[in-house]
Amino acid sequence: MKEESFRRPAAATGIRSLLLVAVFIAGIAAERIGLVEYLSDPWEREYVLFLAGQHLYLVAVSMAMALVTGLATGIIVSRKRFRKFAGVVMYVIGLGQTIPSLAVLALTMSFLGIGSKPAILALYIYSTLPIARNTLAGILSVSPAIIDAARGVGMSPVRILLEVEIPNALNVILTGIRIALVINIGTAALGYLIGAGGLGDLVFTGINLMRTELLLAGALPITILALAGDYLLELLSLLIVPKGIRMAG
Amino acid sequence: MNLFVFLQENYSTALYLTWEHLWMVGLSLLIAICTGVPTGIFITRNKQLAQKVIGGANVIMTIPSIALFGLMLPLLAVFGHGLGKVPAIIALVLYAELPIVRNTYVAIKNVDPALVDAGKGMGMSKWQLLREVEIPMAVPVIIAGLRTAVVMIIGIAAIAAYVGAGGLGVFIQQGIARSHESMVLAGALCVSLLAVAVDLAMGFLERRVTPGGMKP
Amino acid sequence: MKKASIVFLAAVVFLAAGLIPPGIAAAEDKTITIGGKNFTEQYLLPELARLLLEKEGFKVNLRTGVSTVIARQSLEAGQIDMYYEYTGTAYTVFHKQDDTGIMISPEKVYRWVRDKDAKKNLVWLDPLPLDNTYTIMMRRADAAKAKIRTISDFGRYVEKNPGKLTFALESEFWERPDGFKRLMVVYGFRMSPADVKRMDMGLTYLALKEGQVGSAMGFATDGRIQAFNLLTLEDNKRFFPVYNPAPVVIRKTLEKYPEIAGILKPLSEKLDNEAMRILNASVDVEHMSVSAAAEKWLKDAGLR
Repeated sequence: MKEESFRRPAAATGIRSLLLVAVFIAGIAAERIGLVEYLSDPWEREYVLFLAGQHLYLVAVSMAMALVTGLATGIIVSRKRFRKFAGVVMYVIGLGQTIPSLAVLALTMSFLGIGSKPAILALYIYSTLPIARNTLAGILSVSPAIIDAARGVGMSPVRILLEVEIPNALNVILTGIRIALVINIGTAALGYLIGAGGLGDLVFTGINLMRTELLLAGALPITILALAGDYLLELLSLLIVPKGIRMAG
Repeated sequence: MNLFVFLQENYSTALYLTWEHLWMVGLSLLIAICTGVPTGIFITRNKQLAQKVIGGANVIMTIPSIALFGLMLPLLAVFGHGLGKVPAIIALVLYAELPIVRNTYVAIKNVDPALVDAGKGMGMSKWQLLREVEIPMAVPVIIAGLRTAVVMIIGIAAIAAYVGAGGLGVFIQQGIARSHESMVLAGALCVSLLAVAVDLAMGFLERRVTPGGMKP
Repeated sequence: MKKASIVFLAAVVFLAAGLIPPGIAAAEDKTITIGGKNFTEQYLLPELARLLLEKEGFKVNLRTGVSTVIARQSLEAGQIDMYYEYTGTAYTVFHKQDDTGIMISPEKVYRWVRDKDAKKNLVWLDPLPLDNTYTIMMRRADAAKAKIRTISDFGRYVEKNPGKLTFALESEFWERPDGFKRLMVVYGFRMSPADVKRMDMGLTYLALKEGQVGSAMGFATDGRIQAFNLLTLEDNKRFFPVYNPAPVVIRKTLEKYPEIAGILKPLSEKLDNEAMRILNASVDVEHMSVSAAAEKWLKDAGLR
């Protein structure tokens, strides 16, 4: 997965217009399936929004936790002193992703019972790896020449970290956060199975009752949220990554 | 009733479910490789096409797996295959495509241009180049993609239990439904061990296949 | 090239596994596929049927653990030969009827669905005496404190104290015509969506026991009701139909093996609510395996 740490192919306008066409077709299909009718019932609309709120809550809390540990782990393990532990640490964190998401949820459920807490824990475990791994990879990829120059100018290690290493690694780190976010939003759909609510409710109910409009009422928002989150983070990286670094990267 | 007692008493069921799980994963992987690797090779010819194909596969990845399973049901019910392994396998193949196609594409693109030039200099045709230079050099990265793909679909196959496809997810699903903690743990444990074991095996394979000169 | 051949060989071995589907039936004759839904009783009934049928030389495949609608659709599509369906469920969910006069009479509703499904080439065999109706449950202490004994009491309490009572249910129960949405209409109360916690099958009992919700939906024959010391509220307005399970078999299969009806008949004579509750409890509370519990029951009933 090494090349994933770096650049995702920049989405050309070609893909965006393709997506628009797909969305348009999907819209017509949705109407035929009864999705529009379903959503025109205010009771159901209220419920979909409520579930979306629950879903976002699960994502937000777990992402916040994952950001903290992911960044911290990546930074700590990039320090010369701890670099030898990098392999082991990354493997252990990586287990959280190797192990199937359903299994992680089942395991957290047996420790924390049912509800949103075990779901948040499971999502946190799942989202930490991409962030940690990309933070490490990003920092390690900063040209040693630049770091030497900074040291030569007399910067302290902390200042080097904050003013040289991290800004240069920002592009890669943000990509890691994007990957984590998309995985998180998708996996949160399983939270329903352990009583955490969220849009997965509509998906599973739709399957159980063979009612495609319910399935879509759940699956479409999740997919849209994931795509939106991905797009927003891409915008964010365009804004905050200093131009010089972006062009060099 | 604890976990080990449960596994002891349900040994044969656990084995059967594991086999069912492996079968779904194996078949899906086979199909994904047969379609994905050639696609990955094909799109190295055309950068625009490559972006579209990989972009499209990326979008499929953002669809939560259970939703894709769910969408298969009404589509396939028309052919009488709404339930069970068929929708699961189709969804698993779709998910496995991205890592395989992308890695194949990147692997071939990243083959040292000096080698390609040398081959051209020796008078190799496009096909010969592919067969004797590009693909062998690309194998390690392709295997890395296979590793990602297989670990991922072992996980997704666990969810397939919810659309009647069987596999180790059945322990988790039934265990939760029947408040049977040991069953849930047994399912979680077995499928986790399976994923970790396959990941280790693929990692080993990846290292064996990487020529000494290319090791990171 | 040695490395490449190792890779190739390993790949072939691993992928070859993908070509051998599990459970290939050795013989094609006398094989039946039985479906089942995703709660304990619906794992037990097919298992009981399987044991009885295997004694008479049948080979039985089980495809259990799916929802009501999926089970019914796979029966209609011929993917399974039979499964146990409840009269009330067929009446309200598949045939979308709501005539109270019919649905609360076991004989009337059975005859109604049997006749209607005969036209679809689905044969209803003899029904079992047990009535696995939906119930609304509460923890005993809470119900006593709030003086709730019937669903009308429940509805009145919800209207007077909005937000104080939460209800856990399984999503099927929410959407069904004999489900919670319509129950609220018939009983004249409305719970806000924030108070209705939807969760997957089986979690409702746990959620109620652990105090995560104030009330929950359950099945009348579930062994956990007694084990978790829960109270079932009285359906004073007779909103729920009767739910007697019966084997529903594809006509073609029955014509091929007419003896199935006779083999399964003992279940329709002996399995009542009390017997089912004990059976369910042995699986859900004592954690016996489904097959062990079924074997034991058949032995005790002198059928094995």
